[in-house]
Amino acid sequence: MALADFLVSLLTVVSVYTLFGLGLNIKYGFTGLVDFGHVLYFLTGAYVTVVVTLPAAATSYEGIGGFALPQLLSGVPLGGLLAWFAALAVAMVVAALLSLLVGVPTLRLREDYLAITALGIATILHTVVNDERWLFNGPFGVRDVHQPLTGAFPVSLGSFIVNLAVFGLVSVLVLAYVGYRVGGYVYGVDVRAAALSTVAAVLVVAGLGVATLGGSLVLAGVVVVAVGVAVLARSIRQADGYGQPVALFTALVFAAWYFGTPLVTTGPSGTLASAVWLFDPTAGANGGITYGRFVLLVSAAFVGISYWWCERTVNSPYGRVLRSIREDEDVPEALGKETFRYKVQSMMFGSALAAAAGGLWATHIAFIDPTQFTANITFFAFTAVIIGGAANNRGVVVGTFVFWTLHTGTRFLNDYFPTEYATQLAALRVMLIGALLMVILYYRSEGLLGEQTYDTGVAADGGGHSE
Amino acid sequence: MVDTGLVNALAQGVVTGSIIAAGALGLSLVYSIAEVPNFAHGDMLTVGAYLALALNNPGELPFVPNAVAVPFAVAAVGGVVVAGVFGGVYEKAVFSRFRDRDADLITMVIVSLGLALFLRNLVLFLAGSANVTYETVTRVDTNVDVYATGSGVGVELTKRIGGDIATLDAWGYGWLTVLAVLAVAVAAGVAVYRWRSADTGYERVHFVSPRVLAVATTLVVGAAAAAVARGGAVSTANPLYSTRVGVSWKYGAILGVMLATMLCMNYVLKRTKTGRAMRATADDQALARVRGVDIDRVQLVVWVLAAVLAAIAGVLLGWYASNLNPNMGFNLLLPVFAAVIVGGIDSPYGAALGGLMIGLSMDVGAYLLPAEFATYRTAIAFVILVAVLLVKPEGLWGDA
Repeated sequence: MALADFLVSLLTVVSVYTLFGLGLNIKYGFTGLVDFGHVLYFLTGAYVTVVVTLPAAATSYEGIGGFALPQLLSGVPLGGLLAWFAALAVAMVVAALLSLLVGVPTLRLREDYLAITALGIATILHTVVNDERWLFNGPFGVRDVHQPLTGAFPVSLGSFIVNLAVFGLVSVLVLAYVGYRVGGYVYGVDVRAAALSTVAAVLVVAGLGVATLGGSLVLAGVVVVAVGVAVLARSIRQADGYGQPVALFTALVFAAWYFGTPLVTTGPSGTLASAVWLFDPTAGANGGITYGRFVLLVSAAFVGISYWWCERTVNSPYGRVLRSIREDEDVPEALGKETFRYKVQSMMFGSALAAAAGGLWATHIAFIDPTQFTANITFFAFTAVIIGGAANNRGVVVGTFVFWTLHTGTRFLNDYFPTEYATQLAALRVMLIGALLMVILYYRSEGLLGEQTYDTGVAADGGGHSE
Repeated sequence: MVDTGLVNALAQGVVTGSIIAAGALGLSLVYSIAEVPNFAHGDMLTVGAYLALALNNPGELPFVPNAVAVPFAVAAVGGVVVAGVFGGVYEKAVFSRFRDRDADLITMVIVSLGLALFLRNLVLFLAGSANVTYETVTRVDTNVDVYATGSGVGVELTKRIGGDIATLDAWGYGWLTVLAVLAVAVAAGVAVYRWRSADTGYERVHFVSPRVLAVATTLVVGAAAAAVARGGAVSTANPLYSTRVGVSWKYGAILGVMLATMLCMNYVLKRTKTGRAMRATADDQALARVRGVDIDRVQLVVWVLAAVLAAIAGVLLGWYASNLNPNMGFNLLLPVFAAVIVGGIDSPYGAALGGLMIGLSMDVGAYLLPAEFATYRTAIAFVILVAVLLVKPEGLWGDA
């Protein structure tokens, strides 16, 4: 698999979980509701979207439905896509209503009651979905997931060269923009720190490269990597802040991995394939853009819209009420706000976002079963939100990216151990996530970015009314 | 052939309930004194159970040296003690640090979640996901068959020996005797209640509350009277009603351990200086500190006690179910939380009673519901939890 395909798949997962995390951030970050059952709405979104669009007599499916919405709308132009959007809308409404049912008995009480009740109902409904075959086919899951417009892909614009030029240009522009933003962030860092970061990146890449040769060189590689990390630590001390050196280090390591590895393994064409990541030369006769890449673009668009909407919400007077509920519920209550209503609405809004993430997830993965929706998904989302910084929408994006890159990136370790240790390695990974959660809460409870600033319409020096 | 029925489900429920009660007691102490809604409590059960397993049957664990293998009882005590040390580690390494930073309730919830993930996957990492069991003596099951006939109540003790059911013993009571035994038992209970509650006052703390003592007296006197009044065997050919209760010395042992644990906890809370300090801290931490209570020491004791109680519950759960797996504690977390909330989070006694109630409802509910609902035992605990939250959020025996 080309690195570009891996990157596309990882970015799709990150987009879906970012959407999921944005929903959690509305509940937990901005309103202070500890919803340990957030995955329930992810599950609801995935199953409802799939079942509404499932053909009426799907093979080896014994659950309720399918309601065959795409077939119903097949006369309308773009009916498949419309049906998919309609299904997603239904899923979001169902999830919001479900969270209303969970919220009404618990949101009047102390926050810890919500945590246990939400965890309880998520666990029980997960058991129901897993055990009852008549509902959603139980443990066998659902195949035949409707993927809108899948027939139209791979999209090709004509000859190979035209495809390469158009999609390649878009890909390179996106990469260049990311590079520009990272460069702008790193620019102006202390020169010695930058040098140390570069040395650290070189050492880590070299160490990892040596370690892949196997044998006793693994040990040597690990030692070199450790030295690299030590140098990075020096760089952080030198720069008087971890943000810029770490960003520089990460960008260099990413570039070495993403562009350097294919150069070594397949030559310059490999690097070119990495650079034009949106273009898949193997798709169709003349190459083109694959369905997986389309799903990534759709997911990214969903994240973009939701991000904008969340920003709007938290910067509005409505968002101020949510934050004041988090800080001290008595204050908005005393100002005549019905806080219970706000909390329920926050629950419903967050759950609807989680349901949208679930629908996208089902479309991306094309097969869903209950094992994809365990309580760990909620806990991972909490970790991601806390890494990035609770109550910070940009932090959700950063945190989710960091979390899932680490989580997916460490899978390559599986190759170095016998397969019977796969459970052990997975357990080790989650164990470290648990430890990371505690360490971050202790040493940097505000996360990487801290709480975001708000556009309150009042200048920061405007008579002490700043946030 | 006699079938098991409601009475059997009740007996099972008492055993399940007492295990949940031990878990709930520990959680309630942490909840009210350390003010941590501890989501790692279920996994503390698991850790305790596996610590005992490592001493008792290390062959089941791939990464544990197969050196020592002690009898189950010794291993259980050893595991519980080591788990207590772990409890101290949780407090010192994690919770005391966050308390020093005045972490709020939500932060504590998430910290305990991190600890839960860590502990559960530590067990999974070291022990693997396979179902394992303790190395114990094969259990001996005896059935108590009760027949209600026209002339009285007949009791038969039966046991399966070599494929056949052998009758060990049989006796019976006339209906008049049954009524007399019941009357004596209830009268004894009422008398004890009157006697113990006569001097109730503000400054009087009963070691055992009069109500609990009255119920206990009723049970003991009833059993004694039944043993004394025991008559000859009654013909059980055409019973009006018959039911079978499976008993095992294992159940008795679990109940005995639980009873002893509860009495010890009761003693610690009511008769020792540390216990008084704990109750004072639960009521008002600032006030307790002003009166010279060493809060840090109290918190350490609380976490050690909670870990010990969790480990006892975990070992007994693994023994009762003849099965250990890394999720066993997490699966019991919801019933344990339900027990604490039903009982009222500030009351350890409420938590113990709540545990008994949740356990009974889970087993009786599973018996009353059709067989295909057997996987939803936990859901019953949850329904009770939500019902209590809706009707009386401060808990049935709480005063908050």
